[in-house]
Amino acid sequence: MRSLRILSIASVWWLFLLFMDVSAQDAEKVTLRLDLTYHRQENGQLPMLRTSTMTKVGKRFEPVHDVEINIFFNEETSKGFLGRIKTSDKGTAFLTIPNEFTYELDSSAALKFIATVTDNEKFEDVSSEIEIAKAQIELTLNEEDSIRIMKAKVLLFEEGSWKPAPETEIKFVVKRLLSDLNAGEEELYTTDELGEASSEFKLNIPGNANGDVIIAAKIDESDVYGSISSSKAVKWGTPLMSDNSFAKRTLWSTRDKTPWWLLIFPNLIIASVWGVILYLIYQIIEIRKIGKTHKNL
Amino acid sequence: MSTLSQVSINKITADLLPKKFGKPGIIWTTVLVMLSIGGLIGYFRQLQSGLSVTGMRDYASWGIYISNFVFFVAISLVGSLITAIFRLTNVSWRTPLTRISEIIAVSAIIFAGLIIIIDMGRPERFTNLFLHGRLQSPIIWDVIVITTYLALSLLFLYFPLLPDLPIMIKHSRAGSVNQKIYKFIGSFWKGTAEQFRISESAVKIISIMIIPVALAIHTVTSWLFATTYRPGWDSTNFGAYFVSGAFLVGSGGVVVAMYVFRKAYSLQEYITEKHFNYMGKIVVMLALLYLYFNINEYLVPAFKMKKAEEHHLMSLFTGEFSYLFWSAILVGMIIPIVVLLFPSGRKPLPMFVMGVCVVVGAWFKRFLIVTPTLLSPFLPISNSPESYAHYHPTWEEWAITVGTLAGALLIITVFVRLFPIIPIHETIEEQSKAHKL
Repeated sequence: MRSLRILSIASVWWLFLLFMDVSAQDAEKVTLRLDLTYHRQENGQLPMLRTSTMTKVGKRFEPVHDVEINIFFNEETSKGFLGRIKTSDKGTAFLTIPNEFTYELDSSAALKFIATVTDNEKFEDVSSEIEIAKAQIELTLNEEDSIRIMKAKVLLFEEGSWKPAPETEIKFVVKRLLSDLNAGEEELYTTDELGEASSEFKLNIPGNANGDVIIAAKIDESDVYGSISSSKAVKWGTPLMSDNSFAKRTLWSTRDKTPWWLLIFPNLIIASVWGVILYLIYQIIEIRKIGKTHKNL
Repeated sequence: MSTLSQVSINKITADLLPKKFGKPGIIWTTVLVMLSIGGLIGYFRQLQSGLSVTGMRDYASWGIYISNFVFFVAISLVGSLITAIFRLTNVSWRTPLTRISEIIAVSAIIFAGLIIIIDMGRPERFTNLFLHGRLQSPIIWDVIVITTYLALSLLFLYFPLLPDLPIMIKHSRAGSVNQKIYKFIGSFWKGTAEQFRISESAVKIISIMIIPVALAIHTVTSWLFATTYRPGWDSTNFGAYFVSGAFLVGSGGVVVAMYVFRKAYSLQEYITEKHFNYMGKIVVMLALLYLYFNINEYLVPAFKMKKAEEHHLMSLFTGEFSYLFWSAILVGMIIPIVVLLFPSGRKPLPMFVMGVCVVVGAWFKRFLIVTPTLLSPFLPISNSPESYAHYHPTWEEWAITVGTLAGALLIITVFVRLFPIIPIHETIEEQSKAHKL
């Protein structure tokens, strides 16, 4: 009876501790850092929004995955709701703005986007907001007297029409497989009062089989315009000759294309050694024959 | 043979004939069988679920299986050292050690081949190595050279065994399984002059041929690593480094076997302290040689400490593998050198202990050559789970690895049960010559 009482008290105490633990977990929601950025690859394309979530672990920020984020356009209402996205292992998530918002995007000069995390079990509610001035880049590529010029004009949508955007920093790049390569003589160019900037293209780089390279002018992570770019393909690269060495006798080709020297010499050695081994086996047969003859004698 | 009295001949024969296992022999064999079965269970698990049951992942794609393979290839080299090199250089005291070294070579090379199949994710495709192998790949060179070395080693074991077989037939129970085996493999040996001439000529041919093949087998194994551009493997010295290490571990293995057979079969008259003394000197020389190559392999890169190789070197010197690294150097080389330099260290028991140190040190040394390099790639490990940056063998891997080691020892044990571990005929011949003089 006494032990039963002790057991009951212990059980109640354990339940109490469990409850305290759960309550403590409820109370300990972590602060989340939410970033929102605006990206548009080409003029006329629908923009894309990128979100990233991070939290502080020790002294550094680490990405947080599987966080649901609500994205809104202009206002945090059901009317402005663009969609809900979930962060990947790298703590990032992307949303391309749906087609039904095309009209509003085209008619607005300033674009406002809001990202929110609400009712998350682990993290406190958080929101992030950006306001983008709608802009676009017109890229022209010209070659005169063997001088290749890249010219970009940045235009800002104001009062229903496109107007030059002076004092804007842009980059000229060549699109490569893994990242962009600086194509201008300088890292950054600032547009003049006409919204224009230009640079000479002096690179000697391989293009595709036709010699095409993709050149882009872009504004990178601007607080005012977001990240926008405009690109064009042009035959300013060296035509890439495909490597057909697999069809030749090389060390990296298939077995039917083994180099002759590697076929002849090792096979000669293998044949010689195994010839001797076969001779030795034949010697066993000889010894056997002698033994049988000896028996008969 | 006639110069020795029949009594002496009978004594030698009785001393050297294989004997039934006593209690320790039965326990030893049972343990080996159990360990081998454990290995088979581990392998069955691996066949069921694939290589995911191992601790090998994207980076450490070669683990203790390949370390074990390199160890087996290394220890197999002793066959060519004791049997061939000593025979060609007329080392008179080699006779009691030749068969020991040859059976170590054969059993080791069999398991070297098997462990490669075990390391394959799809073992049923093993034949593709032969059907679709490319001569451009060092892996196919290894397959060819292992097969060749196994064939030569078997012949090297078989030819000198022939004169002993009539003795075995005579002294085995009529109609027994053992006698049937002896008759099957050697009833035709009548000891005629012509048979001896052919046999001796064959042994001479093998003695000459097996040396380059033995050097090739371990050099090619070293090329599996050295032809790959990785920290710790990118060395032009690797062939010589591997061969010197192989001679050392092989000699250590022979010393351990000498002691065990001497003790188990009371062979003190045949494997004498003189043999231990000579083998001790050889082990010291080989340990010094291997230490020299180790200094070359580690000190020179450490002096330069190229940024790309720093992670690998530091993981060995002070990092994750430092305990194992310094233990392998100390136990596998430095302690045996110090102990065996003194005549009292070359007595049977200390020799046995040092032999064990050399063999165990050599196994871990092979692991240190294979795996730390893979965990220190030139492009730092990124975008992969934390566990991929380390290698911890699973119980299946350990069971299989221990199982193969037990399997190799089981071959030697069964061989010793069936055949004389010291050549009877050759010993009688040798003692007759000595008696004549």
